[in-house]
Amino acid sequence: MAKFVLMLPHAPDRYTKLGEEDFMDLMKDYIGWVEEMSAKGKFEGGEKLLDEGGKIVTNKSGSIEVHDGPFAEVAEILGGYMVINAEDYDEAVEIARSHPHMKHNETIIVRQTDASADE
Amino acid sequence: MSVAGDIHKLLDETVRRERGWLISSLVSKFGPGKVELAEDVAQDAIVKALATWPYKGVPDNPRAWLRRVAGNAALDRVRRSAREFGVDDDWDFATEEHDVITPSLSDPELDLMVLCCDPAIEPRDQLFLALKTVCGFTAAETAALFFMTEDALFQRLARAKRKLKAQSGNLARFPTRFALKARLPQLLKVIYLMFAWGFLPRRGEDLVREDICREALRLSDGLFAATEGKAAGHHALHALLLFQMSRLPARVSGEGRLITLEDQDRTRWDKEMIFDGVQHLGAAKSSNDLTRYHLEAGIASLHAQAPIWEETDWASISRLYELLNARTPSLPVLVNWAVSLMLQGDLEGAGQRLLAAGDQAGAQKLPAYHLARAKLADLTEDRASARAAREQAKACQVSAPVAEFIERELGFGE
Repeated sequence: MAKFVLMLPHAPDRYTKLGEEDFMDLMKDYIGWVEEMSAKGKFEGGEKLLDEGGKIVTNKSGSIEVHDGPFAEVAEILGGYMVINAEDYDEAVEIARSHPHMKHNETIIVRQTDASADE
Repeated sequence: MSVAGDIHKLLDETVRRERGWLISSLVSKFGPGKVELAEDVAQDAIVKALATWPYKGVPDNPRAWLRRVAGNAALDRVRRSAREFGVDDDWDFATEEHDVITPSLSDPELDLMVLCCDPAIEPRDQLFLALKTVCGFTAAETAALFFMTEDALFQRLARAKRKLKAQSGNLARFPTRFALKARLPQLLKVIYLMFAWGFLPRRGEDLVREDICREALRLSDGLFAATEGKAAGHHALHALLLFQMSRLPARVSGEGRLITLEDQDRTRWDKEMIFDGVQHLGAAKSSNDLTRYHLEAGIASLHAQAPIWEETDWASISRLYELLNARTPSLPVLVNWAVSLMLQGDLEGAGQRLLAAGDQAGAQKLPAYHLARAKLADLTEDRASARAAREQAKACQVSAPVAEFIERELGFGE
């Protein structure tokens, strides 16, 4: 069984513009999914990233510059990530397809972790 | 089982209750003119807290978790802009954070229950008092629950109230959570008794008082929020209530008649409750103390998990009754043990236990005892004894539908 990371980007104002009812409905979808995947042993864990803040640290020809995240201008911010268990990319994609992010017309980036150095 | 259904219910109920709690706590701080502000703060805090669940899953004790995390989020916001909220900068919510887990902020009924279980009052009288005041039982119901006369009950209640008055005169506030902790076993007992009555009332027109069952369940739930589930046996008791409760939809026919376990349509059992019960029973296993609730919940779970009556694991059930009888011997336990033996064909063992039960005070007043004897007589085709036993059961104090059920059984014997 391999591990895959699902990265979940969303528009910066995706959740702030929702009313209370809509937000709750969305939560029910997402939480239901995570519980179902946990029950199936597919869900390993995840972290939600804070919407506010964020820094970009860059080395510009020898001097390190730190900038506040340019998240206001970008089309999407990374909302968080999850780690799932899957046999291969086919299964990982299948799992991503079932994610509520799909139902709500969002994008998921699926990447396999490199476990070659693991025991 | 639908995970989605569970999640919907869990979120709706948890959020509704915790929002109410958070708002009322904040209003009591900000003042009655700031209800809207309190609502805003509470809502923001809850949204912020909930937003992590899609990445983490639901915490083990969602209500306590939400209360803590949303409570802290609200506190943060208030601290950051104390002026906006019309409170002083030195407004001290921090010292009261401890109160987040005392019942006095969450539930007036629990408060009163804790008060009633004052150790200065005799343990049995604490139960009378709590059932009578908190649970809204009538004197007749309370008396019937304990096989007492109403007069005797009134005397004991009067004495208990005098003691309570003397005690609470010294109290500046509700009992602390340390007091609560010491009183937990009694609180569990109150909830257990309350539920037992709701599940099988001994008088009245109703076969089941579902509202009482639900209220017991709610109080037990409330107690979780207050204690974070630390009371020995609490998870087990809660599992027991859930397993019992799950059968209610199948236990009463459309005409309000009793349908016994054997004849129940098990597809009508509440799967979500069974699911929750299994969760709580799992949590109960982490406790070091084995309580009677563990054993009773174990029995109930075996029933809940049998797909059909014929596949009931009677051997395990009677083993649990045996343990229960060794731990907290009582007449109903002995009778139920006998029945479980009977149902796996050990008529001799069953007969012995019923004889022993018959020697105990109160056996003649317990319909289950007579019905068990009737069942044993059925199995040995002793029609006369079966009929006599059912007549005796009918003469006991039972609700109208139970009387009707016994009547029907008598009819079948014709």
